[in-house]
Amino acid sequence: MFKLYISLDIQRFAHKKGQSSTDNGRDSAGRRLGAKLADGQTAKAGAIIYRQRGTKIFPGKNVGMGKDHTLFSLVNGVVKYERSGKQRKKVSVYEVA
Amino acid sequence: MIIVEVKKKEIRVNGHAGFKDAGKDIVCASVSSIIYTTVNGIFNIDKSAIKFVDDNKLLKITLVHPSTVVTILLDNMVGLLEELENQYPENIKIKKGG
Repeated sequence: MFKLYISLDIQRFAHKKGQSSTDNGRDSAGRRLGAKLADGQTAKAGAIIYRQRGTKIFPGKNVGMGKDHTLFSLVNGVVKYERSGKQRKKVSVYEVA
Repeated sequence: MIIVEVKKKEIRVNGHAGFKDAGKDIVCASVSSIIYTTVNGIFNIDKSAIKFVDDNKLLKITLVHPSTVVTILLDNMVGLLEELENQYPENIKIKKGG
């Protein structure tokens, strides 16, 4: 006469859900790039206008560029975002008389 | 990968087949069925013939009172697991001896 001594678990050697690990799940904090001063805003000399990777926007009149391509004002004045040729953009600061 | 270690008086099985997730893993289902069928069969013949331990990590079958029938059933189990290894070498491995 048959007797069941051990119950049959046919997924006994399977990877139960949630057991698998993943190598993903890491990310660096956002770098807060982009415009710090908008068009028409006044900038003081030395003020950061635009943070970027590479030259999305080029330095125009009275604007300097740091080694990390950060654009900053060289004078007190008003910020102006302009076109520079067909493809490019630049930002300038015009001194207010 | 499921590792099956076959020694003179003991068979140890551990690991995951890793063929598919739980509920869809046919290799795991085959291994489980082959082992449970054999162990339950042996228990129905002679409850004291083997000692069976399964802590969900390691499954161990220890031969206590050998007999022709029990030996045939265990050899049959190992033979079928080897057949599975031939078909699914990435998911089950048999190690003999030691």
